[in-house]
Formats: sequence, structure tokens, C-alpha cells
Amino acid sequence: MDTFFLAIGVILVAGILPLTISRQFNLMKSSCLLLMAAGCVIGLSEVLSFLSNSGEAAAANWAWLQIFTLSFKLDTISAFFLIPVFLISPLALLYSFHYLEKPEQSTRTALNYFCYAILVASMALVATANNIVTFALAWELMSLSSFFLVVYEYQAKETRRAGYLYFIFAQGGAMFLFAAFGLIYSHTGSFSFEQVAAIPENIKLLVFILAFIGFGSKAGIFPLHIWLPHAHPAAPSHVSAVMSGVMIKMGIYGIVRIYSLLGSVDMTFAVIVIVAGMITGVLGVVYALGKQDMKKMLAYSSVENIGIILMGLGIGMVGVASGVKTMAFFGFAGAFLHVFNHAIFKSLLFMGAGAVLHKTGTRSINQLGGLMKRMPTTGRSFLAGSIAISGLPPFNGFIGEFLIYFGAFQGLGLHGLPFVLTTLTIISLAVVGGLATACFTKAVGLAFLGEPRSEAAAKADEAGFTMQLVMVLLAASCLLIGIFPEPFVQLAFNGMRDLNLVGAADPGLFLTLVRNIAMTASLFLALIIGITLLRRMLYVRKQVERGPTWGCGFTQPTVRMQYTGTSYAMSMVDFYRPFVPAKTVYSGISKIFPGLTTYETRVEDLAEKYIHRGLIRPLVKYLHKLRWIQHGKIQLYIGYIVLAIVALLIFI
Amino acid sequence: MESIISFGIAMLAAPLFPGVILKMKAFWAGKKGPPLLIKYYTFFKLLKKGSVYSNSTTFVFKMGPTVSLGAAIMALLFFPLGGTAPILAFEGDVILIFYMLALGRFFTICAALDTASPFEGMGAAREAYYSTLAEATVFVILVLFYRLSGALSFAEFFSGPAPITVMGPAGALLLLVIVSLFMVLLTENSRVPVDDPATHLELTMIHEVMILDHSGPDLALIELGAFYKLFFYAAFITHILHPLQYGAPWVNGLVFYGIMALIYAAVGLTESIMARFRMNLVPKFILTSFALVFFATILTMGVIK
Repeated sequence: MDTFFLAIGVILVAGILPLTISRQFNLMKSSCLLLMAAGCVIGLSEVLSFLSNSGEAAAANWAWLQIFTLSFKLDTISAFFLIPVFLISPLALLYSFHYLEKPEQSTRTALNYFCYAILVASMALVATANNIVTFALAWELMSLSSFFLVVYEYQAKETRRAGYLYFIFAQGGAMFLFAAFGLIYSHTGSFSFEQVAAIPENIKLLVFILAFIGFGSKAGIFPLHIWLPHAHPAAPSHVSAVMSGVMIKMGIYGIVRIYSLLGSVDMTFAVIVIVAGMITGVLGVVYALGKQDMKKMLAYSSVENIGIILMGLGIGMVGVASGVKTMAFFGFAGAFLHVFNHAIFKSLLFMGAGAVLHKTGTRSINQLGGLMKRMPTTGRSFLAGSIAISGLPPFNGFIGEFLIYFGAFQGLGLHGLPFVLTTLTIISLAVVGGLATACFTKAVGLAFLGEPRSEAAAKADEAGFTMQLVMVLLAASCLLIGIFPEPFVQLAFNGMRDLNLVGAADPGLFLTLVRNIAMTASLFLALIIGITLLRRMLYVRKQVERGPTWGCGFTQPTVRMQYTGTSYAMSMVDFYRPFVPAKTVYSGISKIFPGLTTYETRVEDLAEKYIHRGLIRPLVKYLHKLRWIQHGKIQLYIGYIVLAIVALLIFI
Repeated sequence: MESIISFGIAMLAAPLFPGVILKMKAFWAGKKGPPLLIKYYTFFKLLKKGSVYSNSTTFVFKMGPTVSLGAAIMALLFFPLGGTAPILAFEGDVILIFYMLALGRFFTICAALDTASPFEGMGAAREAYYSTLAEATVFVILVLFYRLSGALSFAEFFSGPAPITVMGPAGALLLLVIVSLFMVLLTENSRVPVDDPATHLELTMIHEVMILDHSGPDLALIELGAFYKLFFYAAFITHILHPLQYGAPWVNGLVFYGIMALIYAAVGLTESIMARFRMNLVPKFILTSFALVFFATILTMGVIK
């Protein structure tokens, strides 16, 4: 545990140092980077060695403010969720070296690095917190530091709005968490996590629902996801990479943790998680398909992946509840591995989108095109990330999804509700997989391939060196994990050890399966290489020419005739119409020689629409009647405080 | 060894069968039709040619043919052909295979979008759309097969001790599966009534329009991949129709290729008596296949105790 705190200490120093030397712009950035890397390497080595040894969970306690104890514990679940924290954070910071390159904003950059370090440290603390007070503190620290990271470009009104929205969701979610913690405290009379399992069964369900809502608002479960598509585009790209790749997983960590603490094997928990997962997964990917803003699309795709992870957890819980061991095992293992994999490819994709934004100044797919030639490294890495996130072999995304599928299939022997749930999960996974492929062929095919649709895209050039380096590293690891999944599956396997509900299962089946997939993946790669060589041979001494694209007889094509993201996705989005309201504004053509015609179509978010209509508007209406409390007179405000203290002294 | 020979025969024979479709269509149209070996002739003709590449394209365009062919070959490697066990098999291979085919589609779509052609974009959008629906049907079929056999591998489905077949105890359910699998075959392989590869107007095509810019050996590889994919789906239906357990490998092989020819003939017959659907009817067509197998799966809740 001491090494872990050393890592946290180094990371915090990495955050504080830039504040003192912000005038030396490059020195500041590189020193922060070095310290962060050092801290994370220390943390990572500690976590990995802990996971590979079958040691006991390490714990540490500190007294704080006389009455509270700060309590930390490193068990395998925490350790597993710490891997992405320590792995992605330094890489994203390295990426930011060429991303934040305005020396005149050095103070702001220093502050960004400070908040970044606080975020990394607080995420590590969330994953190791072992009582209610510690958890709440770390959780709030995480929400606040990420809020400041989101509002980096605070001059833009859009960014401030996104920041406030995120703030409201973070705090609203925290309120649900506190309600859950309050319920626990009222039954156990202790802040400790150890006694949570002792509360009565019916309270457990309530605690779980409250915590699920609270953690769900962080993770981005439908309909609590609406801050994601606003906050991610507003934040700088290295921040969106870490927030989407790592931070929202803390919500998943919370759900896993509360589930393991409650220690209940009720089917209701599984039903909640699995149904939320299906809705989140399918709607997330349909919205992602409907969005033309690259970062918004990626944010919705994070929602989709949270859905996949929840489906995995849900399958695991169904397995636990109905006593099918293999199902429980594969479900949880798939979910865990997908947490890790998603951290890699989602941060890669956000960095790719960030590089494009940095060089072209636009996030809209409909303005891009042809970037593969102008930004070859970014384009190739983005392609790799896209294949991985679509869950296609031989990349890493497939492995996690495969384990979840396999777990789900094991549950098909059940009867009644569990059977229906698993069948629906399999169908949802298939639908999500298909739509994700459609979504990311759109991203790659329209933004990186074809011809540039705007001047900015035509003039783009390759991103800075550190940005390229990080993207190549991440893309390579996507392929590497896909071809050699065994050690990584083993990691997920070890991570689940302290999830004591699952119990010890036989790793034999697991490893044979993973080895078979690995073997097939290598075989496939070999086959592709073989066909490529054959293709080369077929072209030896052949006439190969270049010419314009065949326009089916039309000789004056322009780049504006290309399919756009909107037209590509429209029929698919249309299919899900009642759940995905699309608004179309079309001026129509009335004359024989039509004049200026406009056509606009926008996909709206159902949750956003109805939360605004059903919750915010009535709430504002009633709260408006209390406006007289806010009158702006400072002496009366002090009076409120005095009154409140007096009232508290009387009643408590 | 038997498996490898059988696989080799399948690899060589796959281009023959689309000829059967053409013969069938010609028969119903009262024409003589092209020779049965037409697809071999075109294949070798294409191999001899050079290529013209669009100025817009990148390396992704050239990966389209390679990956789609590779994925289709992978599918056949895991499939029991002509009564022999597949070359490779493991528990869970079916999921891997359908995801491999999806990878092939990913690159075909990207290659189409790489040309910057509006027509190819249109084809790509349709291909992506319809395949998301067809994928759901395929996975419900897998759910049903798992219920029937307790396995997740083609080898276990068809060459295990209790193969899945209409002759078996759950035969009535499998009739529904055959119909829906036939519909998936038509969808995934761009046949009438979903797509018309022979139409004269690019605007109405799906798959053919996506490969407009491919020429020469590249086109030959795409065609070969398409033959293998069609072969895979047809073999899938063949196995459900009839279990291949005669003992002697040559009898098995003969029965297998006989039924295969019948299925291809059925495709040809469908093409002769039907016109291509309007685009907005295609999703309904695919959803019908989904509904059929979903219904069959629900029925297993009563059948299998």
C-alpha cells in the first residue's frame, strides 16, 4: 500500500509543480509529464504485481478531523480498475504536449495540468476507498477536478453550458449516492464498507437502485447520459480521452463495488442492470450514428460501450442469481476486459478526433474527408481504433464482447425470465455490433477517406510528434491484445478474484477458448498477408493506371456530391424513429427553376428532450416562486446563515 | 486429411454453382444462357487484366478485396463440408465466424467510401443498414441452435452425434429456420429480391455499386470472396435439410453437392419469379426472417424442458 501512496504523491507533485514554473512553458510541460509518467509507472507496477500474486488485500487507515477515518484498501477489483487509470493518464498527458501548444496560455495550461493530476489521483483514490467518507470525498474530488478540466476554454458560451450541465449531473448523481450511503449508515451505524452486507434484503434493493442511479449518471447510462455528448466536445481532447476512456469507468467500478458489498444474489439486481444495459447500448449507438460531430459521436459511442459492459455485468449477475457458474464467470470477465479495452480504443479515437480538430478546426464529419492522405498516421490509428471499437476480430474489442456472448449463451439452458433476458441480451449485442460497424465505417469512410469536403480539410497536415506517437502506441496495443489476449484475459480473471460471489471457477475452459481465438486471429492475419502477397504477384508486370472515380457516366462530379454522414446514417436512424426523433427543416422546391433551397436535419436526444420538458420546465416554474429569497442583500444572507445554525442547534 | 481434401474441393467448386443460378434463370426465361463454367472464365479473364485506380483512393481501397476474401475463406475453414469434419473447430467459433464476415463487410464499405463516389456511398449505406438487421436474425438462429444442441460450433451443430436437421425431433422448428436462413442468404449475398446484381441502373444496386471502381485482379478477388460467402450460407442450409451421415465419404460428398445445387437452383428460381423489392420493403423482408426464427426460439421454451 505504501508504494501506492508514493505513486499518488508523485502524481500530486506532478500537478503542483507546473503552477510554480508556468512561465517556462516547455519545461513545465515536460517536467509535469515526466513526474506523471513516473508516478503512473510506480502505481502500475504495484497494481500489476498485486494482481499477479495471489496476495491478501492491502489496507491502510488514517485518522482525519478526529472523528473520521480515511480508509483505503487495495483488492483485486480496485487493482483491475486502476490499470486503465495508470496506463491511459500519462499517455493522454504526453498527447497533450503537442495539443496544448499556446505559450501565451501557460497559466491556464498549468492549471489544466494541476486539475488533471488531481483527477488522476482522485480516480485512484475512488478505486481504493474503503469507507463511506473516503469514497464520498474522493468521488467529489474527481467530479470537481474533471469539471474544471471541461471548462478549459471557458470563454466559449457553449463550453460553459456543457460544464454546468456536467456539474449538475455530477452533483445530482452524488446526491443519489449520498442517499444510498445514508441508508447504509442508518442500518449499520458505521461508515465502514465491511458491514454493508448486514443490512436487510429489502433495503439492499433500494440501496442498489439509488447507487445505480448515482453511478449511472457518471457512467452515462441512458437516460442519465446527456452530459456526455456536451461535455466531451467541449473539453480539450486529452481530457475527453481520459474522461471517456477512464473516468466514466469509475461509475462501472462503483456498480461492481456496491454489488459485491451488498452480497445479494437477487435476480432483481440482474434485471435492472441488464435492461439498463440493453437500452443504453442500442440507443447509444443509434444516437452515435445520428451525430455528425466527431466528438459527440464518440461520446455517444461511450454510452453504447457502457451498455455493453452493463450487459456483461448483468449476464454475470444472472449467472450468480441462477447458479450457472460459467455464465457468471464469462459475463463478469467479459465486462472487466471490455472496461480495459474500451479505455484503450476510446482514448485512441478521442485523440484521433482531437488531432483532426486541431488541424482542421472542425469536428463535423460533413466538412471533412480525404484525411487519410493528409494525416496518414492519425488516419491509420483511427482506422485501427474503429475496427477495435466495432468489436471485430482480430482486434481487442472482439475479445471482451466474445466473452460476454459466450457467457450469455451459457444461460440459454435456463427457463423463464433468465432465458428471456439472455436471449434479448444476445440480440442486443448483435444489433449493437452491427450498428457500431455502421457508425465507425461512417467515421472512417467519410472523415478519412474520399475527397475533402471543405477547404480546411484539404489543407490539413499531420499532427505533432507526441500526438502521433501516443496514437500509434494505442493502435498497436489494440491489435496486440487482439492477437495475444491471454495475459490480458488473465488480468481480468485475476481482477475478479475478490468478487467473491462468483467463487473459484475452472480457468481451463477459459484459457482453451482464449487460445483458440488467439490462434484464429493469427491464422486470419497470416491469411490476409498471404492474399496480399498473392495480390502483389497478380499485379506483377500489369498495367496499373490512375484516373478519376467512375461517375456512372456523369463527367462533372464535385466533392459536394459525395455521400455525407447525414445521408449515410439517415435510413438507419429512421428505422429507430420513435426512439430517435429526427427534426427536418426543408424549404421545398416549388418553381420549375428552383431558387435557394435549404435542407437541415438534426437528430434529437429523447432523454434530453423529455428531461427538459418533464422535469426542468415544471421545476423552474415552481422554483420561480421562491425567487424573492434571492434578493442580493448581503446582510440578509448572513441572517440566513445565522438562522440555519440556530435551527440546527435546536434540532440536533 | 479428409477435411482438407473436402475443403480444397469446396474452394475449387464454389465458382461453379453461381453458374447454376444463371442456367436456372436462363431456363425460365426460355434462353440458352451462359455456359456452366462462366464464372471460371470471367475469373481468369479478370486475373489477366490490369487495373485503374481512382485518384481519390488510398490503401484501404486495396484492402477491401483482400479482407473480404480472407473472411470468407475463414468461414469455410470452420464449416463441415461434404460430410467431413471442419478443418478447425472450437466451442464458440460461430460467433467468431460471423464477426469475421462483419470485418470483411467493414472493409468493403470503407473501400466503397474511399472512392468518393456518391453511388458507392449509397450502396455502402444500404449494405451497412441491411446487414445490421440480418445480423440480428443470424444470432437468433444461433440462440435456437444452442437450445437444440447445447453447442456453439458448426462442427457440433452438424457433424456431432445428434446433428441439427429437419429429420430430427425439432424438425418443425427448423423449417422456419430454413426459410429465414434462405432470406438471410438472399440478403447477405445481394440476390433478388433484396438486390439485383444484373440491373442496368447503378442507383438501384447495393453490392454491385460498391465495387464499381474495382477492376482486374482486385475484382476477381472480390468475386471469389462472394462465391465463398454464398457457398457458406448455402452449405449452412444444406446441413439443416439433410444430415450427412452415410459413412462413405464419396456418398456424403455427392449428397452434399446435390443438395447444394438444388439450393442454388432455388435461388435462381426466386430470381426468375420475383422482381427486386423497393428499398423500403427490404427491411420488412429481413425483419420477417427475424420474426420467423424468433418465433421458433420462443417455441423452444415449450418444447425443450
